[in-house]
Amino acid sequence: MLRFLVRRTVAGAAMLLVISTLAFTLLYLTGADIARNLLGDNASQEAVDLRAAQLGLDRPLGERYLDWLSGAVRGDLGTSWFGGSSVVDLLASRLGVTLSLVVLSTLLSAVVATVVGVWAAVRRGWVDRVVQVFSMAGAAVPNYLVALGLVLVFAIDLAWFAPTGYTRPEVSVGAWLASIALPVAALTVGCIAGTAQQVRSAMIDALRQDYVRTLRSRGLPERSVVYRHVLRNAAGPGLSVLALQFVGLLGGAVVIEQMFAVPGLGALSVASTRQGDIPVIMGVVVVIAVIVILVNLLIDLAQGWLDPKARTA
Amino acid sequence: MRRRMLAFAAAAAVLLTAACGGGDEAATGGETTGSTASLVLGQTDIPASFDVLGYASGTKTQYFTAVYDTLLRQDGSGAIVPGLATDWAYDDTRTVLTLTLREGVTFTDGVALDADAVVANIEHFRGSSTPDLSNAAYIDTVSAVDATTVEITLTEPDPMMLTWLTQPLGYMSSPESWENEDVATNPVGSGPYVLDTEATVVGSTYVFTKNPDYWDDSLQLFDTLTMNYYADQSALLNALQGGQVDAAPFNQFSALEQVEAAGYESNVSRLDWEGLMLLDRDGALDPALADVRVRQAINHAIAKDSILSAILLDHGTATSQIFGPSTDGYDESLDGYYTYDPDKAKALLAEAGYADGLELTMPSTSVIDQALLTSIQQQLADVGITVSYTDVGTNFISDLMGAKYGSSWMRLASSSDWQTATFALTPDALFNSFRTQRPEVDALLETVQKGTEEEAAAAAQELNRYVVEEAWFAPFYFVDNVYVSKPTLDVTPAADMVVPYLYLIQPAA
Repeated sequence: MLRFLVRRTVAGAAMLLVISTLAFTLLYLTGADIARNLLGDNASQEAVDLRAAQLGLDRPLGERYLDWLSGAVRGDLGTSWFGGSSVVDLLASRLGVTLSLVVLSTLLSAVVATVVGVWAAVRRGWVDRVVQVFSMAGAAVPNYLVALGLVLVFAIDLAWFAPTGYTRPEVSVGAWLASIALPVAALTVGCIAGTAQQVRSAMIDALRQDYVRTLRSRGLPERSVVYRHVLRNAAGPGLSVLALQFVGLLGGAVVIEQMFAVPGLGALSVASTRQGDIPVIMGVVVVIAVIVILVNLLIDLAQGWLDPKARTA
Repeated sequence: MRRRMLAFAAAAAVLLTAACGGGDEAATGGETTGSTASLVLGQTDIPASFDVLGYASGTKTQYFTAVYDTLLRQDGSGAIVPGLATDWAYDDTRTVLTLTLREGVTFTDGVALDADAVVANIEHFRGSSTPDLSNAAYIDTVSAVDATTVEITLTEPDPMMLTWLTQPLGYMSSPESWENEDVATNPVGSGPYVLDTEATVVGSTYVFTKNPDYWDDSLQLFDTLTMNYYADQSALLNALQGGQVDAAPFNQFSALEQVEAAGYESNVSRLDWEGLMLLDRDGALDPALADVRVRQAINHAIAKDSILSAILLDHGTATSQIFGPSTDGYDESLDGYYTYDPDKAKALLAEAGYADGLELTMPSTSVIDQALLTSIQQQLADVGITVSYTDVGTNFISDLMGAKYGSSWMRLASSSDWQTATFALTPDALFNSFRTQRPEVDALLETVQKGTEEEAAAAAQELNRYVVEEAWFAPFYFVDNVYVSKPTLDVTPAADMVVPYLYLIQPAA
């Protein structure tokens, strides 16, 4: 197990290095006139040249990347070109928001999708068909449309929730929950749909296995067969798809955070992209990459725990 | 900034002061009874930074003027009125500007806002790479004559100088705050409000509280001030429909009715012109554009009214001029100078030797309304001008300024004569990229820059007429600039600013 962990960690670090090199190169080689874009249409050439020099844009790309990298390994991702605050601070203030959306949404999806998926697989018949139809629909509708619908109904017509904004949990837990209810719901719908499908088919596969017949023939209660044995075997594919969904949710959060004006990483990445704030964009890329790598690592560990055979794979 | 300062009863007195261009406005002391406890403003932009590198006006004005006083202000109609400077005067050559400062003002960190602080601020601005650095281009020296007198010496007259002092060049922050690590996020000014850094989420929500020592009650009509940034148009629309903001800029014309149905009022001003810039007037790149008849033909080929209906849903005013309605150079009769007349356009093209048509390449980018570009293409094709677009992405502005295209779509501010001139007409103007120069234009520009107010106004009118007749541009219309507000507020649109200055937003009487 330890060896597995070490191997995965080294692979993750290598992946991170490749991603950051690529991102850095692509961001700086867009051919755009970076200083001009930072200062806007009305700025004089004098101001533009001065800013370019201040930002070190006249230095070779490789040199700048090595500077960035040596800072990054020491936990310093530079300073935002706008605002001048440290990128690490900016990311820290936004990360919690996005993670609360994505983690809540994933947990909610996991619970609901398992219940629904198991139910469909065990009962089959009309229950299964209804679940299938809803899953298809849920996966097909883009989450911004779901968000729009939720806002129209629950925020504007019924006025149960505020249509935009975010309250920090330190201020009031109740207000925090109210402020993320709609964004989480909008994110969760598609996630449940995809995961439930996967749980359902994994359950159906598992239920067909010989050992199920054996267990049943021994007179084990059906509840125990389904939940203790079959579900454990079916959990592997469910977890994998949940991990994929989690990564997808990070992407979905970009749109959803914009729509609900929630100050998370997604909103930060859009704002900094629009402004051309490359140090911040790099920071977002690194953080997202780290999260994705970590999630995959955790899922692998969980798979190993569920199924010892996976450890040797 | 432009402040129609007025508050309630004192409005008349203040407007008088404003008209005299001097005097002391401390007389305003507006009663704040009936003030709303809080004001929540929707924003479509965020301040890049509260330090000098991020200083900005336009869509970011409200953030900065909440925390920074400006040396001068403007009333809603564009007239200059006192700010930190109670008095100002030029010498005869219009190159030495003397400002008299209000006494006893301090920054919120206790540092005195005296002549030395003003000099330091202007020098700080000049030594930085602020986007508005060119506003200080004509400044030669700045000096403190005594504790309350500052003298700004210019290399040549700058008709915009007083206006610049109502904008970033006039923002005053505590010199002692510049070395602070959090200078970008924790502004130390002397303005009506103080940024509450605890409650603020940079890039999202900005919360302000009253500056307890502020000297001008008319600027502190609300106990708290919140500014929420909406990066996404539909988020802003939702926030408005949910009644979450009291006022906001809203230029999504297709959804304006929804917002009005939710109980908001529209306050409209006209600031920008939109249309084509026919830059290559000497034919360096597109020889055809050197012929005035070709440029006039382009003006006649565009069906302004139909574009106005289709693209802006009639939220604009058709025009043939680039001098905005609030400028001295504006001449209402020029709005209808070129009318839609494809036959005349074809005849002009034939006269110029292009009976078989001609081809133009224009830059395009995704931020431009693609339907508008298609309309332009179609209407010019109808008279025999083939337009092909090259997508230049984020290089749109640099390519234009680099004279890579002889003509292009553009939307430009046109809120003062000299600004219009330095944006688009002077030989070194940003958007006079092919450096068109004509002796008669030079003479008029000289008067606009150096003449008395009356002479400058007359010259601006003449200049405007010349540019229209010579078809240096093919303007389509002035675009309505809409600011929506709840009926609990009285909002006066600013004549030269895309969002109203803070003091133009008041509790309804």
